[in-house]
Amino acid sequence: MDNIGHGGKEIVERILPRDEAVKKVEELKQKGAPEIEVRRQIATEVIDIAYGFFCPLEGFMGKADVDGVCKNMRLADGTVWSIPIVFDISDEELSQKGIKEGTEVLLTYMGNPMALFEVSEVFTYDKQEMAQNVYGTTEEKHPGVKRTYAYKDKFLGGKITLLNPPKINPVFEPFFIPPLEMRKRFQEKGWKRVVAHQTRNVPHTGHEWLMKGAWFQTYGELPIDKPYVGVLVNAIIGEKRVGDYIDEAIVLAHDMLRKAGYFGEHNHMTSITFWDMRYAGPREAVFHAALRTNLGLTHHMYGRDHAGVGTYYGPYDAHNLLMSIQDDLRITPTFSMNWLYCPHCGEVTYEGLCNHKDEWQKYSGTLIRSIIIDGVKPPRLIMRPEVFDVVMECAEKYGFGSPFVTEEYLEKRTPVFTIEPLK
Amino acid sequence: MAETYPINIWINEERFEKLQQAGLASMAKEKMAGLKVLPVPTNEEQKDKILKLFPMAKFDSATTKSIELLPREVKDRIFDLIIQKKTLDVIDDFIKMVEEERK
Ligand SMILES: [Zn+2]
Repeated sequence: MDNIGHGGKEIVERILPRDEAVKKVEELKQKGAPEIEVRRQIATEVIDIAYGFFCPLEGFMGKADVDGVCKNMRLADGTVWSIPIVFDISDEELSQKGIKEGTEVLLTYMGNPMALFEVSEVFTYDKQEMAQNVYGTTEEKHPGVKRTYAYKDKFLGGKITLLNPPKINPVFEPFFIPPLEMRKRFQEKGWKRVVAHQTRNVPHTGHEWLMKGAWFQTYGELPIDKPYVGVLVNAIIGEKRVGDYIDEAIVLAHDMLRKAGYFGEHNHMTSITFWDMRYAGPREAVFHAALRTNLGLTHHMYGRDHAGVGTYYGPYDAHNLLMSIQDDLRITPTFSMNWLYCPHCGEVTYEGLCNHKDEWQKYSGTLIRSIIIDGVKPPRLIMRPEVFDVVMECAEKYGFGSPFVTEEYLEKRTPVFTIEPLK
Repeated sequence: MAETYPINIWINEERFEKLQQAGLASMAKEKMAGLKVLPVPTNEEQKDKILKLFPMAKFDSATTKSIELLPREVKDRIFDLIIQKKTLDVIDDFIKMVEEERK
């Protein structure tokens, strides 16, 4: 079976079977190996590495990889990679725990054993240089730069092996489909091509049509006797900010587009990936290409200003960067313009098609959020009623009354995943 | 005329009733296949003041060129001023009101 991922490398899960993992933890405890309790971001990246979402990475990056990624957008071996995946640690913790090259570290999360970290390198890297190269700016108001500056003084590189797979909470469990499993599902569906829809939003019909448009683009010359092309919604689940849609609403609303028949089992699937968005614009677009290649996708949709923030990147910077490295990618980008409402046509239409420019009524995710905040149900041409209803249901069930993230949600929500005691 | 940036007050049934009672129903515009909205214009200076007074609000510069994500209570107050004064030209009054309260 073809389990070749990004960079032409085979995807291999780095997960120990439970009985071996239990023994390994015992062994580490007996020899007094250092333990590090990791924060949520690192825990999600451990999961991503172990399941092959980040193939060809087998662990956290060493200095040569970080340097290559920053300066040439390539790993030391030449594979295209755009965002450093690093494990930061303070000098204090480093010396206190006596961690050095060759140390086996037990990573814990929520107080329970999670993964083995075979530290092969301890290094420093200039954070300003990292920020400038990855984000094109050193301004701290850029959220990716802010995250970079928040890293502690030193970095540890080395391989990760998952000892204790995460328990995904019931709402999200069906949607956590790691690369090897995802590829099986695509085969079962008989899809020859699958196009990725990156999202952190509840879908309005503009998103629905982006997906439908990309489905057409992807379908191309394939025969139509059977459904050969699917759309995979891949929701990014990570750091939340007040005012975002709650995660439950994002995932269940996308799934509702299929359940309510706007798509079907034959052409649509919803899934999640754990990742804290860096808003690196063009470089994030390249990162998404690698991620979705590993998930077995053949195509990836990119709208204007993909994964950008503020005015740091031009609307087509991501497209241009992707085109410049197409030969190094195993996934084909599909570029899309905006869909909008044209009262003259009486329908949602495409910027590249309709010419009633003076009459166009554009709508954004922000505009739709405003409508919902005002307690108004958007018309079905703008947001599907089933989607609206599931969003409101999520507000009651999971959002403490609000479909948007509140302080209360941040404090009291059920975590998307937990690491349970290892037995 | 200088460019203006609307605060879109989306009209639900309750707001529509109030508009009708005040004889202002014709102020609401139809948008997007069945929505009613009162676009309350702000000029550059008013826009900046509103964004400063309500940091959760966002100016959607890419798509709609409007001020969005104002909390519902804030829009309710603007809406009530419109009903009371029977004009959309209420933003200066509204800003003054909020500034007074916060002193
Ligand atoms: Zn038209």
